[in-house]
Amino acid sequence: MASWKSHVRARLQLRDHTEKRPFVGVFSSLSQLEERFEARKQFLGEVKSESQERGAVDVAINTRLLQLQLKESEHFADKLSQTVSDLTSVLYVKEAEVQYWQSRVSQYREEALTLAKGSNGLKATLAQLDFTIECQAKELGALRAERDRVQAELAQARREKDELLQRWMEDKREEADRLNNYNDIQERWQRLTQQLRKHLHKEAKAHVPTVASGATAADAPRSHQDICSVK
Amino acid sequence: MADDKDVLRDVWFGRIPTCFTLNPDEITEREAEPYYLLLPRVSYLTLVTDKVKKHFLKVMKTEDVEEMWFEYEGTPLKWHYPIGVLFDLHASNTVLPWNITVQFRNFPDRDLLHCQSNSIVEAHFMSSIKEADALKHKSQVINDMQKKDHKQLWMGLQNDKFDQFWAMNRKLMEYSTEEGGFRYIPFRIYQTLSDRPFIQKLFRPVSPEGNAYTLSDLLKEMFPAALPTEREPKRYQVLIHGIEPLLETPLQWLSEHLSHPDNFLHICIVPAPSD
Repeated sequence: MASWKSHVRARLQLRDHTEKRPFVGVFSSLSQLEERFEARKQFLGEVKSESQERGAVDVAINTRLLQLQLKESEHFADKLSQTVSDLTSVLYVKEAEVQYWQSRVSQYREEALTLAKGSNGLKATLAQLDFTIECQAKELGALRAERDRVQAELAQARREKDELLQRWMEDKREEADRLNNYNDIQERWQRLTQQLRKHLHKEAKAHVPTVASGATAADAPRSHQDICSVK
Repeated sequence: MADDKDVLRDVWFGRIPTCFTLNPDEITEREAEPYYLLLPRVSYLTLVTDKVKKHFLKVMKTEDVEEMWFEYEGTPLKWHYPIGVLFDLHASNTVLPWNITVQFRNFPDRDLLHCQSNSIVEAHFMSSIKEADALKHKSQVINDMQKKDHKQLWMGLQNDKFDQFWAMNRKLMEYSTEEGGFRYIPFRIYQTLSDRPFIQKLFRPVSPEGNAYTLSDLLKEMFPAALPTEREPKRYQVLIHGIEPLLETPLQWLSEHLSHPDNFLHICIVPAPSD
């Protein structure tokens, strides 16, 4: 219990110890005696007047005393019935309180049931979600493996592409070399052809009559063989 | 929780031993004996003094009797304040029993309200309860009650029936756990050395940050002089139902457990005894 709470409780008890307890016994006794005195005074008056009404001067004191006691008993009986009535009303209040608490208990029970149902539902959903997560985890594993495989294939394809490119470049280079060689030969041939033409032209100028008379069809293949040997 | 209910019982069954004496200036046929009574702290003077009136009327003539009123050491006692508040305010730290003078003439109209019957006390009591619930629940709880429920509250107080009263009053003390307390705390702070009847302002039980306010927080706001300082000796006593609660007591708990039946927390600030 919190200290402030126990302090309040202790102080209230201390207060009653000084204000209430020393006086409650005396005050209640005094009150009861006063009440009893008042009642006796009233009853005595009534009994006296009744005796006088009857004219029975010689009524024994004992009879008066008995009547007084009877009246007192009736008075206390009335008070007791009042107490019983008070207790009955307290009982009704308590019963109403019990009913109220019972209704609160049943309300809380219903709330607990609803909460338990909700909890079960949530548990089922949780289990379902766990299963889904497991499936998706497996699926993810498979997809990752597939991705690794595809990546490996892609790397292989890239390597092959690079090799092919390399080979293609090699071929191109060789082809270029070949073309350059061909061009060089062609150029040399052209230069030789020109030189031969010049030479032929010179020769033709110098030996025009000889060539004109002595040239036959048999000379042509010989010239061709010369060309080949130059080559 | 059982301890809390014990606190409610202790509060309800608080009693003040009182000696009623007839004012010597009253005209009597013979000398009037004093009348002794244990007064319930939570009740009202005019509600529990039928026997006192009956006792003194026995020695007085009818023509000399006007409205009965009470005074303590020359101060007229306001019947519309709870008895415990009157005692704490005017007579705490005095020798018991509490000596009250009864008068049947010269009614002090400027100081006291007239009270011809218990129906006026009932009207005052119900009005206070409604005001308190307006502060606590925007009047929702008291308006949801039926007429018979209101009657049950009143009859519980009138007949000093703790169970009957609390069977209904606990509804006025409920609040939702989300709110953490009432909307505002119904309280009244009384001082002896002031012409002002009492201090009553709006004060929430919980701060905007969600911390519970304490009695110290309330006094800091309403009456800072009542708080003790390290430098000087204690000047004031802060009394609720005749006790001094610790200043760190949460205000919400005090309101739930130490409020009077009118649902107000009545706090008396009196000068500290010199001895």
